Amino acid sequence: MLVRAALAGDPAAFAALVDRHAPACLRFASRMLGNREDAEDATQEAFVRAHRALARYDEQMRFRTWVMSILANRCRTALLHRQRRVARVVIDGDAVEQAVGPPTGDDGDLRDAIERALARLDAAQREAFVLKHVEMMSYDEMSAITGAGVSALKMRVQRACERLQGLLREDGYA
Amino acid sequence: MREQQDTDELTGALARATPLLREAPAPRAAWRDALLEAVTADDGVRPLRWSVRPIAAIAACAACLIAGAALSYGVMRGRPTAPNPALASAGYVRHGAQGRLPVRFAVEAPEAVHVSIVGDFNGWNPAGLPLHRLADGRTWEVEVGLTPGRYAYAFVVDGRLARDSSAAESGADDFGVPNSVVLVGGS
Repeated sequence: MLVRAALAGDPAAFAALVDRHAPACLRFASRMLGNREDAEDATQEAFVRAHRALARYDEQMRFRTWVMSILANRCRTALLHRQRRVARVVIDGDAVEQAVGPPTGDDGDLRDAIERALARLDAAQREAFVLKHVEMMSYDEMSAITGAGVSALKMRVQRACERLQGLLREDGYA
Repeated sequence: MREQQDTDELTGALARATPLLREAPAPRAAWRDALLEAVTADDGVRPLRWSVRPIAAIAACAACLIAGAALSYGVMRGRPTAPNPALASAGYVRHGAQGRLPVRFAVEAPEAVHVSIVGDFNGWNPAGLPLHRLADGRTWEVEVGLTPGRYAYAFVVDGRLARDSSAAESGADDFGVPNSVVLVGGS
């Protein structure tokens, strides 16, 4: 098992764990933080912390779930640190609409639209939606990662979906 | 971990858009190298530690059980139990009061100005349990009376949360810093 080999001091084993899980971690962090640079920082920090705490890894939990729980916390911390900075940004809806233009029907536009909509969710709803519908996790896994109860997570996902549908509709996507 | 049937189904534009979010970015080679370098360079920063060694912790757990059993025996016999010097010398368990066992929390933080401890036992109130600096100038310590059970806790060093890196880590991490866990044995 890679974790045991990494714990025994095999650097190649930990590198293999990074190679296996980094793409999903980067994806999750990118969706949570909205940009590649912050996602790379959070993911790197999560893996360093995971390596440091490897001896306490509980093998009953999937490694992906465990490292995601560390990463989710890193993302929350990053968002907290960012709040003051973001609070000074005034979102000009008209300007955004003009810059974006009407949808042309290709995937690039739709991707931009869903990314913009996702960024407008509150962090807890965004986290729940991404874990559920992007990372395709079960509610039990999500609960292990976030520490929230399954019922609360279902509610967050449902509200996130409603809000996203509304925002996509505003952008011209039915 | 138990999987469950999930009934969430996406509809409309959201159903078409969400798969676009599932494309995983390929890690940049430079980023991967930097990460592995950081992992290699990181020797597990341990500015804080339990003052109890693993072997002492095992002895302390055994002492808890013995102390609990002795206390129960004393109560059953209707006479007080005297403190056991052998147990007290472990610096961990002395005689209990009203079912509480003294647990000593100690950290090394030579540069700190103020250290306190927050945990399940004080409602996570950072003002509640300050540690005092020992004569060595490096170690901060406080003794807390705890009933048997499992407690998550963290230190607050000059306003910043810091987990005890040598103690077990709890799953909860509400403040961005993994908590530590202490198990207090009982009779």
